[in-house]
Amino acid sequence: MFTLPQKDFSAPTTCLGPACMQDLGSSHGDDLEGECSRKLDQKLPELPGVGDSAMLSPDTSYLSSRGRMIKWFWDSAEEGYRTYHMDEYDENKNPSGIINLGVSENKLCFDLLSWRLSQSDMQRVEPSLLQYADWRGHLFLREEVAKFLSFYCKSPAPLRPENVVVLNGGASLFSALATVLCEAGEAFLIPTPYYGAITQHVCLYGNVRLACVYLDSEVTGLDTRPFQLTVEKLEMALREAHSEGVKVKGLILINPQNPLGDIYSPEELQEYLVFAKRHKLHVIVDEVYMLSVFEESVGYRSVLSLERLPDPQRTHVMWATSKDFGMSGLRFGTLYTENQDVATAVASLCRYHGLSGLVQYQMAQLLRDRDWINQVYLPENHARLKAAHTYVSEELRALGIPFLSRGAGFFIWVDLRKYLPKATFEEEMLLWRRFLDNKVLLSFGKAFECKEPGWFRFVFSDQAHRLCLGMQRVRQVLAGKSQVAEDPPPSQSQEPSDQCR
Amino acid sequence: MSHWSDTLPVPSGQRRDQVPRDHSIYPQLLEITLHLRQAMREHFVQLTSRQGLSLEERKHTQAIREKEALLSCLIRRMINLLQSKAASDLELQVPLPSEDSRGDVRYGERAQLSGQPDPVPQLSDCEAAFVSRDLSNRGIDISVFYQSSFQDYNAYQKDKYHKDKNTLGFINLGTSENKLCMDLMTERLQERDMNCIEDALLQYPDWRGQLFLREEVARFLTYYCRAPTQLDPENVVVLNGCCSVFSALAMVLCDPGEAFLVPAPFYSGFAFSSRLYAKVELIPVYLESEVTVTNTQPFQLTVDKLEEALLEARFEGKKVRGLVLINPQNPVGDIYSPDSLMKYLEFAKRYNLHVIIDEIYMLSVFDESIIFHSVLSMKSLPDRNRTHVIWGTSKDFGISGFRFGALYTHNKEVVSAVSAFGYLHSISGIVQHKLCQLLQNTEWIDKVYLPTNCYRLREAHKYITAKLKALEIPFHNSSSGLYVWINLKKYLDPCTFEEERLLYCRFLDNKLLLSRGKAYMCKEPGWFCLIFADELPRLKLAMCRFCDVLQEQKEALIVKQLEDAMRE
Repeated sequence: MFTLPQKDFSAPTTCLGPACMQDLGSSHGDDLEGECSRKLDQKLPELPGVGDSAMLSPDTSYLSSRGRMIKWFWDSAEEGYRTYHMDEYDENKNPSGIINLGVSENKLCFDLLSWRLSQSDMQRVEPSLLQYADWRGHLFLREEVAKFLSFYCKSPAPLRPENVVVLNGGASLFSALATVLCEAGEAFLIPTPYYGAITQHVCLYGNVRLACVYLDSEVTGLDTRPFQLTVEKLEMALREAHSEGVKVKGLILINPQNPLGDIYSPEELQEYLVFAKRHKLHVIVDEVYMLSVFEESVGYRSVLSLERLPDPQRTHVMWATSKDFGMSGLRFGTLYTENQDVATAVASLCRYHGLSGLVQYQMAQLLRDRDWINQVYLPENHARLKAAHTYVSEELRALGIPFLSRGAGFFIWVDLRKYLPKATFEEEMLLWRRFLDNKVLLSFGKAFECKEPGWFRFVFSDQAHRLCLGMQRVRQVLAGKSQVAEDPPPSQSQEPSDQCR
Repeated sequence: MSHWSDTLPVPSGQRRDQVPRDHSIYPQLLEITLHLRQAMREHFVQLTSRQGLSLEERKHTQAIREKEALLSCLIRRMINLLQSKAASDLELQVPLPSEDSRGDVRYGERAQLSGQPDPVPQLSDCEAAFVSRDLSNRGIDISVFYQSSFQDYNAYQKDKYHKDKNTLGFINLGTSENKLCMDLMTERLQERDMNCIEDALLQYPDWRGQLFLREEVARFLTYYCRAPTQLDPENVVVLNGCCSVFSALAMVLCDPGEAFLVPAPFYSGFAFSSRLYAKVELIPVYLESEVTVTNTQPFQLTVDKLEEALLEARFEGKKVRGLVLINPQNPVGDIYSPDSLMKYLEFAKRYNLHVIIDEIYMLSVFDESIIFHSVLSMKSLPDRNRTHVIWGTSKDFGISGFRFGALYTHNKEVVSAVSAFGYLHSISGIVQHKLCQLLQNTEWIDKVYLPTNCYRLREAHKYITAKLKALEIPFHNSSSGLYVWINLKKYLDPCTFEEERLLYCRFLDNKLLLSRGKAYMCKEPGWFCLIFADELPRLKLAMCRFCDVLQEQKEALIVKQLEDAMRE
């Protein structure tokens, strides 16, 4: 007989062969592709129509050349997580399994969410929800999203449902926006380190690239803090892209930032927007962590709260429930833009990014329930995030490890440079592997296109028992570091050879 | 140019059909200019990057020659448009583009395959205004194509018929949806087993579909397709709709500008899925309604026709990567026999073509005397690594709003590549659970749902065909699907696509939405697709409106004929 989903999905016995591992591997895809498992020094393959893709194209392939590139994305995503999914930690069944502090998911509030989603108002089924509907999203949901964003983003005037497009997640939104704003081969600017999966989202269909604005940790010149984004750096990156013949169409900002856990102040935001306007660039502001700012003092402001946007027609805001409501599996994301051409063009692609009518109904119910959100969910979620954050940051302090994190998001950006014998990405990868060998999965900086080797992202939004165990394993690795660094890494021979280079 | 009209004869009306309703040439001109700009840019890039590419030189020269041909084509199109605009300004009402000039336009359209596989869509007033500085060229193309095709559907969405609240609203017999079993589905989906909120369902999914669902899909297809051996969940990829599956397949099997063969008339949704994201061309294999020595059935697909279309496409320099089959066929409603299916598959194998088989109506065969044979029931496939099957719940379970489509393929490479699209076409974990519960309950499906659904489809079909017979309207399909393919040629004078469009508008004016043959790439004007899977009261009202329009049309024709006679 059929057994329930949850366990099947992690039980290697029910599935056979490598293909299966690969897919379990990718099951945490959003993050894993970009953040944990990108091969160290392997560049993205040349894009179709642009260069030779011979490196991935045995003539025997059944796929088109872009198909081979797409498959490369999938295959490379699998590598890091193969190990994890074969040996996932479970308190009872597999206590020596791997703890996952690598994927940015909020696992602290499933109790609250399961309760809310099981309430009777969520179970409505009616014909209109089962039939084709407006591809922008059901009107009732778009109205609810507009009200929700008006309230939580503190917009000066009520936001309008016509400006809302609803899709099955932020990934889809990146894909659709890239396609309708850029031609193939054009680019978006993005400050690094950044959430690496965006590379794939804009590339798969859109064949759009990212032009990195490299930031460093050192505080020099006009910078007042590490990895500070300034207009000068934006200008420089833009010039550089132009000189390489890459046409830049826009700028992607993630606020609160992933992986820095920092936020842009309203003044900074304004400067970036003015910069974009000067160069006629679109700005995509990804605010997927906007309600996960657990330190009040941080003073986060949504771009939608600004009194006047420099270029409202080119400012496009993204939000989703994956992070703020800890439901990455629900697949709900939304675009807010005043530009009707962009909204319409994105909606034209929504036929491929639609979400079930039943889920749309549930989302509307959830977003409408202001009392529960304000009085139950957000306070509790923030308290739990804060506690988990305090725990991990105390641990790091005790170890004398520097880190960045200002009280937003699910992660701490940790500086492990002093644990690398040489400042190379190979060493970063080796250290990452050592963590994995000691059964704790982290994300390494290279996956965020960080230019300095040695940074890691620790996700702390997990249950205390798993978190403690994870940190304990981290400590073990770091304590044994000096000894390990002298010997050749013992693990290497066991690893698939293509993972290290 | 002339060779174009020789190879693919275009009925005379089709040319006029391409002139926008409002005669405004602005959007067309703009589009051409944009393409022109793009083409010139590429041309210069090619010219400047010539050095140091001695290996590639021949290819390059070829590419440059093609670009030059395209440039001159585009310029000619602009001139033609300006001329035709001048002509229409003189004549005020009647646009009269000369045969030659329109011929050129079509040629130009075909010439820019890589960017734009289909002819420029018809633009109406509202889209004429739709020209944006903020979108990319392809963004404009996507938006304009979509808006022009879905304008009427959107009008319907905003003004739907309701028996109490909006009796004058639109009735939609144009969108293929099964509304006959809403009661059963609503009830089933409210049952206790459907509601499950588990942590795992709220977390990042396996991007090719949760294993529990893929296992269930494999089991389900094994049973209902009567597969000789158990199908493997590892060969299943689950996405949010069959159009997403098709779009992803088009991406991974073709490069931009490459093509699939599709027997026409065919389901209009493919035109979107091939064009919006994937930029893949669909080459119609035109089928004819007339029965002749070689064409023993109306709209019969034969290997000869496939072969002819393939060779012709190759002769024109197109790279054909696959063949798309819909079985049961939409809109004609034919079911391919195992023998003919085998022949098509062997043909594909002979030419190394992939075959995408869309079996989305496989459980909607309501004539009990007819047995549907899924391609998955075959003992051995001629080329299993190039055979890819699509199925979904939208039609067979009447839940198009659920967004679920599945791919079944033996080809591991294709599985991996399509899985990468899981990020962009994922289904909510909660919905995956519901789908799994639904597919799992074979007893309910076999004993309750399918018999009821088939019975209701049969009854609705009986009602609609009786009406059509009374009106002496010829039609096809008496066994499967949600639609009949009807011939309204006798209401068109002259029998052109422009007249077809006008008749379609007349239906629309009477708040009745139908699909016309042009949207299905039918070669002969005058065909319409009528979806009958709706509740009887709505269906009755729809048929009333239908009869009224045809009556009006008939009277208008008589008046017109009289006027013509008097003029002579």
